[in-house]
Amino acid sequence: MKTNSLLLFVILAATMCWSCNDQCTETRITRRFTNVTHSLLELRTMVKNESPKALERPGKMYIKGDYLFVNEIKEGIHIINNKDKSHPEFITFIQIPGNGDMAVRDNILYADSFSDLLAIDISDPHNPKEVERIKNVFKNGLFDGGTWTLNETTGAINDQNVDFVTETVTVNCEEDVAPGWWGGWLNDSFAQSSFSGSAASSASSGGSSGKAGSMARFALHQNFLYTVTQNSLHLFDVAKPSKPKDFSTIEFGWGIETIFPHENKLFIGSNTGMFIFDNSNPADPKQLSTFQHGRACDPVVVQDNIAYVTIRTGTFCQGSQNQLDLVDVSNPSSPQLIKSYQMENPHGLSIDSPTLFLCEGAHGLKVFDVKDKFKIDKNLLAHFKDMDAFDVISLGKTLLLIGKDGFCQYDSSNPKDLRLLSKIPVGKAI
Amino acid sequence: MKKIAFATIASCLLIANSLRAQNHVPLKYTNHTEFGGLFGRAKFQNPGNPNERFVDNRLNMTLQTFNGVMLNSRLAAGVTVGIDWYKTALLNPISAGVRFDLTRKGEVRLFTTADIGYGFAWFHDDSDGFGTTGGLMINPGIGLRMGKPGGTAVTFTMSYKRQEAHITKVPLWNQVERWEDRVYNRLALRLGISF
Repeated sequence: MKTNSLLLFVILAATMCWSCNDQCTETRITRRFTNVTHSLLELRTMVKNESPKALERPGKMYIKGDYLFVNEIKEGIHIINNKDKSHPEFITFIQIPGNGDMAVRDNILYADSFSDLLAIDISDPHNPKEVERIKNVFKNGLFDGGTWTLNETTGAINDQNVDFVTETVTVNCEEDVAPGWWGGWLNDSFAQSSFSGSAASSASSGGSSGKAGSMARFALHQNFLYTVTQNSLHLFDVAKPSKPKDFSTIEFGWGIETIFPHENKLFIGSNTGMFIFDNSNPADPKQLSTFQHGRACDPVVVQDNIAYVTIRTGTFCQGSQNQLDLVDVSNPSSPQLIKSYQMENPHGLSIDSPTLFLCEGAHGLKVFDVKDKFKIDKNLLAHFKDMDAFDVISLGKTLLLIGKDGFCQYDSSNPKDLRLLSKIPVGKAI
Repeated sequence: MKKIAFATIASCLLIANSLRAQNHVPLKYTNHTEFGGLFGRAKFQNPGNPNERFVDNRLNMTLQTFNGVMLNSRLAAGVTVGIDWYKTALLNPISAGVRFDLTRKGEVRLFTTADIGYGFAWFHDDSDGFGTTGGLMINPGIGLRMGKPGGTAVTFTMSYKRQEAHITKVPLWNQVERWEDRVYNRLALRLGISF
């Protein structure tokens, strides 16, 4: 009897199972946009100095001398005294509405403010002063995926505020390929998301400049400030740093993301490929070639005639590749792929030959020895997994790293064993 | 999750060994190897119209082998290793398992099975941008054993199989992150042999 009851129970349970369905839920964190309109007249009165405040949504980094500049997306720039790398000190925060990029020549900080380019005198970093403004030079851009456009007729910026929403839906349990072109055609653009890209770049003669990341949209070379918008290269004459002049615009391509000056070339990353410009005449860059790849976000750095291009999925970077491409640019008119290496989710990178620092987002920071171009994957020196790495700048013996958790500085004398010098966590000022 | 699964497997084996020691039964190896189908359905939202729901049937292949020891004449305990070919996930469940004969006599005997463990995605090859990891697996059921007691037998098993999996996916449009939590609820029908 007991056995029969048990049997009945098991059969009943098995029968109930027959009515069970696979249960698959997909969770998506999505941007939601709200349209807002800003008056240019009002925006132009809002640039001011504020007391130091905590990092909230850090964007790009820029370093010059003992000073570190960290962009607070769309809000302004933190100036940090980094003389003592173990104890960086917030000096001031410059409120700049619509700011995403920056560059520094001598004592002049160039920053964008939606459609305008600002020149700010930082001779006294405690009391920066706006000394010049070139109005209406940038026509549109992106922040965190939200677009803004300049409406010159009404003197307004039509902007989108971005919120992040989590939603869960039931799905068919069988999707394993990324949809095609509709799967995210938007591209990271003018001053995009909080953490994007990364290191190496900028600077060169014509005055003293700093160093930016590989996702920078501003670059200084000789007497010019080069800025890229979604579809053009914009030149500003900065022969007199405090008096930048709108110089020229070169229209080309679309989905342009980054600019990296190297020797007498400009390497411009777009979400369809890498453009190489001959910059022998800094006033008149000439396009030499394009290195095409699948659509994806692609910060690029260059050293010793090798371009290191990371391609990643996610955010607006349509595509389904996560890889590091090495491209021979010894003949800039005909760049040739050396080899592609699979990565996890590569973001910014910085090269300090023969060491390549590569951010893998939530997967941490990887350090490679790149002496053998064909065996980079076999020469992983270290993989630091306990850090969120989105942006890195190598300064020889020091490494600057920014991620979701905040900003960190490491002693990188031994790339295999980074030693933490200091950390500025998000949400906490020092 | 993996730690819980390993702890469960280890506990089951320890308990089984303790039972065997108490009963002073000499170790006798037993094997039960089966293959069959995982039958189920999925009900999901129409991506274009969230108020509309579709239902699709699902059928996938499964193969598993139980290797253990007889703790007494009716109860066997051991480890079950298997492979399940879901359409978009190739999973390898490794679990602690027991087999218990409900009836003692006759050439057709009723028995129950129970496996609990963790399904690994070691051999699954993801599409670019996707990342599949396995999850907890439980598989209780009932079966018929056809053959002489103590000898080789043919088995037919009907069981419920629950397998969890987690998939990270390429974000679409203006998404920042996208992932799927998957629970396969299946009726497993298997043919096998035991000895």
